[in-house]
Amino acid sequence: MDAIEIKHLGKVFTEGKKALDDISLVVPQGSIFGFLGPNGAGKTTTVKLLNGILKPSSGEIRVLGLDPVSEAEKLHQSTGVLTEHAGMYDHFSGIDNLRFFGQLFGMTKAESETRGMQLLGKLGLTDAAEVKLKSYSTGMRQRLSLARTLIHHPKVLFLDEPTSGLDPESTKSVNELLLELAQEEGTTIFLCTHQLRYAQEICNEYGLMDNGQLLALGSLEQLRQRTFNHYKLIIETDVMPLSINSKRIKDNTYELTFQEKAEVSQFVKTIVQQGGNISQVTPMDYSLEDIYFALLEGGETHV
Amino acid sequence: MFNNRQKAIMIKDIRGITENKRYFSVLTILPLLFSVVFPTIMLLTVLLSPTDSSSFNEMARILPDFQNLDQEQLIHDLLSLMVNNVIPIFFLIIPIMTASVMAASSFVGEKEKRTLETLFYSPLSIREIFQAKVYASLFIAILVTYVSFILTVIVVEAEVYIFEGILLPLSINWLWVMLLIVPSITIISIVLIVKGSAKSTTIEESQQKAAFLILPLALLLVGQFTGILVFGGGVVISIGIILLLVALLLLRYSMSGFTYERLLDR
Repeated sequence: MDAIEIKHLGKVFTEGKKALDDISLVVPQGSIFGFLGPNGAGKTTTVKLLNGILKPSSGEIRVLGLDPVSEAEKLHQSTGVLTEHAGMYDHFSGIDNLRFFGQLFGMTKAESETRGMQLLGKLGLTDAAEVKLKSYSTGMRQRLSLARTLIHHPKVLFLDEPTSGLDPESTKSVNELLLELAQEEGTTIFLCTHQLRYAQEICNEYGLMDNGQLLALGSLEQLRQRTFNHYKLIIETDVMPLSINSKRIKDNTYELTFQEKAEVSQFVKTIVQQGGNISQVTPMDYSLEDIYFALLEGGETHV
Repeated sequence: MFNNRQKAIMIKDIRGITENKRYFSVLTILPLLFSVVFPTIMLLTVLLSPTDSSSFNEMARILPDFQNLDQEQLIHDLLSLMVNNVIPIFFLIIPIMTASVMAASSFVGEKEKRTLETLFYSPLSIREIFQAKVYASLFIAILVTYVSFILTVIVVEAEVYIFEGILLPLSINWLWVMLLIVPSITIISIVLIVKGSAKSTTIEESQQKAAFLILPLALLLVGQFTGILVFGGGVVISIGIILLLVALLLLRYSMSGFTYERLLDR
């Protein structure tokens, strides 16, 4: 089943700014979907539209089968949203905030506290539970906000730049938590970020955005196939036969471009037969970053 | 009347005020000023002015037939006028000020501190959220006003008893002011602030707007002092009922135009 379905979604703000242009995508339940693009690409607007906070100018949205505009309250019971602008109360402690938000989602005070302490533990904030939020660092706030979005066991999580302000160690614990949620609880995660390397670590489906348009959609392999029709590898050898189409990068190091993975053994065989000594063969995978920039440069039509 | 989720918002809003030193001091000092300090100054002016002084005569002019009254009667009537006609006006100012501090903090404050958006992601409708906030403000404003009233009665009666050896009877006007007019103008103030909060982006801006609500009352106060307007019971009840109707209508229809998009627009 698909957790999120978007058909021909468009959003034009009252001042005439076109924020989203004809976006269509589906996010299967239990997947971690990376919605990627630079600042101003339309990621946050999409999150707000998916939660009924903004009304679409055109198109259709279904989240967990519900229409976010007419059934916002019902939908919010099953979603957790983390955005830069969704703050918490400075004069309350971490656990007070979680207790309050738990109650908003229909939990009792005791239930919210138990769940809250459990989440604070997972996010390394147990010691700060009774500390007022105004003394929290940016990273601590971000982790507490994540705990807030998870307090009521949401089925779909919307995370807008979840690791902004986090140190590498916190990022690691957040990633572990997200993977655990997706794999063990089947939570669908809609993750917006401009950090493509981070997204590649954790997501299994991607939507690449630029300027309100969806450039490409799919898994990393699908995106690679769509964008590049070849593979690359770096080979270190003292002999490079002329019959092999290669590019010399530096002394005894060459870059080879080819269509099928099966060609690799053929290259190695040819070099060895010509008396070459191969010291290293490194397959080069195209990263999400390579794909994204290739799409931007190629002026791909949006999907 | 309220669900548990709304109660959580109300408790949170009330804690937000009581745990904030600045707001809490405003909510204690201002009512004390209007319920204890100002009434005391007014009563002492009457009680301590020599009855043959020109200032006393000026004050006495407010009373009808003041030339035919003996001195004791004159003082009694003047005190009664202060307590039953002038001081009640302070009890219109107290709830407006309390409501404006509370409402500004709980509506515009949430917007300013970017917590309103977080509330909107909860499974409560905009109406439910705003209803909880209006009633939290109303509860605090009425509580502060009623406590102030009790203080005023104690202080005024004690002062009159010390100087004159009598207890001054309170007129029935107080009942209408407290039961009809105070709740009505509190609701009206809150609703106007909430309406304005859709446009205000800072607490200060919203409080400045709320200050205009006090203006008509200041005029009313001048009217009472100069004797132009001294309302009788019937007029007070009528005004109270009209205000209550206006308040209930505003409460019913004020939130209909609210959408997430409009409220979060910065």
